[in-house]
Amino acid sequence: MQRYIIKRFLLMIPTLLGVAVLVFVLMRVVPGDIVELRYTLEGTAVSDELLAQERARLGLDKPVVEQFATWMWGIVRFDFGKSMWTDNPVKDEIALRLQLSLQVAIMATIFATLLSIPLGILAALKQDTWVDYAIRVFSIAGLAMPSFWLGILIILGLLIFFRWLPPMFYTPFWVNPWENMSQLIWPALAVGYRYSAVATRMTRSSMLEVLREDYVRTARAKGLWENMVIVRHAMKNAILPVITVLGLEFAFLVGGLVVTEQVFNLNGLGMLFVESVARRDYTMTQALVVLVGFTFILVNFAIDIMYAWFDPRIRYG
Amino acid sequence: MAATPPHMDATLPRVETTPVGLPGWLGTVIWFARKKPLGTAGALVVVVMVVGAVFSNVLAPYNPLDTNYAAMLQAPSASHWLGTDTFGRDILSRIIYGSRTALFVGLGASILGSTIGAVIGVASAYFGGWVDLMVQRLIDIVMSFPIIVLALAVVSILGSGITNLILAIAIPFMPRIARVVRASALAIRETPYVDAARAMGFSHARIIVRHMLPNVVAPYLIMLTAFLGQAILLEASLSFLGLGVTEPTPAWGLMLRGAAVEFAERAPWMGIFPGLAISAAVFGFNLFGDSLRDVLDPKLRTS
Repeated sequence: MQRYIIKRFLLMIPTLLGVAVLVFVLMRVVPGDIVELRYTLEGTAVSDELLAQERARLGLDKPVVEQFATWMWGIVRFDFGKSMWTDNPVKDEIALRLQLSLQVAIMATIFATLLSIPLGILAALKQDTWVDYAIRVFSIAGLAMPSFWLGILIILGLLIFFRWLPPMFYTPFWVNPWENMSQLIWPALAVGYRYSAVATRMTRSSMLEVLREDYVRTARAKGLWENMVIVRHAMKNAILPVITVLGLEFAFLVGGLVVTEQVFNLNGLGMLFVESVARRDYTMTQALVVLVGFTFILVNFAIDIMYAWFDPRIRYG
Repeated sequence: MAATPPHMDATLPRVETTPVGLPGWLGTVIWFARKKPLGTAGALVVVVMVVGAVFSNVLAPYNPLDTNYAAMLQAPSASHWLGTDTFGRDILSRIIYGSRTALFVGLGASILGSTIGAVIGVASAYFGGWVDLMVQRLIDIVMSFPIIVLALAVVSILGSGITNLILAIAIPFMPRIARVVRASALAIRETPYVDAARAMGFSHARIIVRHMLPNVVAPYLIMLTAFLGQAILLEASLSFLGLGVTEPTPAWGLMLRGAAVEFAERAPWMGIFPGLAISAAVFGFNLFGDSLRDVLDPKLRTS
C-alpha cells in the first residue's frame, strides 16, 4: 500500500507541472499584455519608453524561460509573487476569496450528499415505480436547470414572498455566523441542486448494479434482515463511485462557481479568475489555475488511494 | 426485451415487427417511442426547438431587435405573450430567435469537439507507445480544468463572438471524448482488417479515418448527444457572464443578464421565461441522449 501511495503521489508532479506550463504559455500567447491593457485603458497616448519601463518593473522584459524559472522557483518556496494589477501579494488576494468559495463548496457538498444518497438508494430499491420516475425526473431537471437561473429564481422568491434580500457584503463565519449563513446558504443551495442531481444518478445506477450481485442474493437467502442487506452489503460496495462523483464535483466547485458568484454578487475565486484573465494579470491567473488544477489532481489522488484501500486488486495490480 | 430496432436486427423478419404499410424508418420511430417514452418526450422537445430555430421568422410575432420605448417592461398580455424587456422588445420573439443561437452554438461546439476529440483518441490508440503516452498525459492535464473554467479562459483570450464561443466550448470536450474513444479504438487496432489495411500499405491517416473512425461511431454518438445539452448550458452561462454572444443578438443566457436581476421584482417575467427555455432545451437533449445511449450501447443497457 505504501509503495502504491508513493508511486501515485509522484505521478501527480508531472501533471501539475504540465498544468503550470500550459497556463504559462497560454497567457503569453494571448494578444495584449497587462501593461498595454492598463495604459490604453486610460485613453491617453503613452510613450513606448514608459511601457518598456513598466514591463521591466514587472519582469516581463526577461526571456520567457527565465520568467518561467523564476515563477517555478517561487512556487517551490510557496511564494506566488505579487498580482501585476494590484501589487498585493497573490497569496493574500487568493486567501481572501478562498474562504468564501470554500465555504460555499463545502455547504453545497453537505447539502448534495444528504439529498442524493437517500434519494438514489430509494430510486434503486423502487426501480421502475412512480417513486423511481419522480426521483429521476427531479435529478434530470437538476442537470438541465442552469444553476445561475436557479439563483435568480431564489432571489426572486425571497423578494416576492419575504420582501427580503440576502446581505450584500461578506461576513466571515466566526464574526457573525448568522449573517454569514444568510448570505451564503442561497448560492450553496443553487449549485447544490445540480450537484445532488449528478450524485443521485450515480447512487441509483451503482446501487442497481450491486443489488444484482450474487453476494446480495446470498445475504438475502440466508435470511438477513432487508435493511441489513442494503446497508451492510449493498451500500458498502455501491458507495465508492458515489464518493468519486462527490469528490470530483467538489474539486470543480472550488474554482467553477464563476456564474453563480455573478448572480449573488459574491467576490469569490471565480470572479477573481474572470477579472484576472481579462486584465492579463499573469501572476494571478497562473496562481489560480495552478490552485484549481492542484485541487482537482489532489482529489483524484485521494480517490485513487481510497479505491486501492477498499479494493486490494488495484493495489497489487 | 428486444432492444435493437427491428430493421437493424437481422434475425427478425422485418414484416413481423413493422406495422404493415409503413416505411422502415417510421417503424423504428414507433418502436423507439414505445420502448423509450422519456426519450421520445426528449426528442419532441428537440424537434420543437429545431422547428423554432428554422422557422423563427415565421413564428415570432415581432422582430426580436425592435425596441419600443412605449412598451417597456410590460407584463405578459395578449399582444406580448411573455411580456417585454427594458427596451420594450418582445420576450417571446427573442426566445424563439434565441433557439437559433442555442442550437447553432450547441451543435457546432458538440460536433467540432467530438470530431476532433475522436480523431485524437483514435490516433492515440493507433500509434500507441510513446505517442499514446504523451497524448494521454496531455489529456490528463487539460482535464484537470473544470469545463467552465477552461471555456471561460479560452473565450476571454479569443474574445467574444459566436465562432470563438463555439471553439471555447468545443475545446474542453475534446479530451473527454478522446479518452472514451481511445478505449474502444484500442480493441479495433488489434482486428485483422486493420492489420490488412496496414499490410496493403495504406497511410496512417487513411487507416485512422477510413478504417478505424467508422467503428467508434457508437461511443462518438453517445458522447456527442451528451455534449449537446452541456454545450447549450455553457453557451447560456458564458453569454450570461457577458463573454459569449453579445447584444443585441437574441440569446437565452444574455436575456438573463443584468436587467433580469435588477428588475426581478418589477418584471419577473424577464428572469423566468428565458431560463425556462434553457432548462427545457437541455432537459430534452439530455433525455434524448440518455435513451439513445441505452439503445446504442448494449453494455450500459442494464439500468
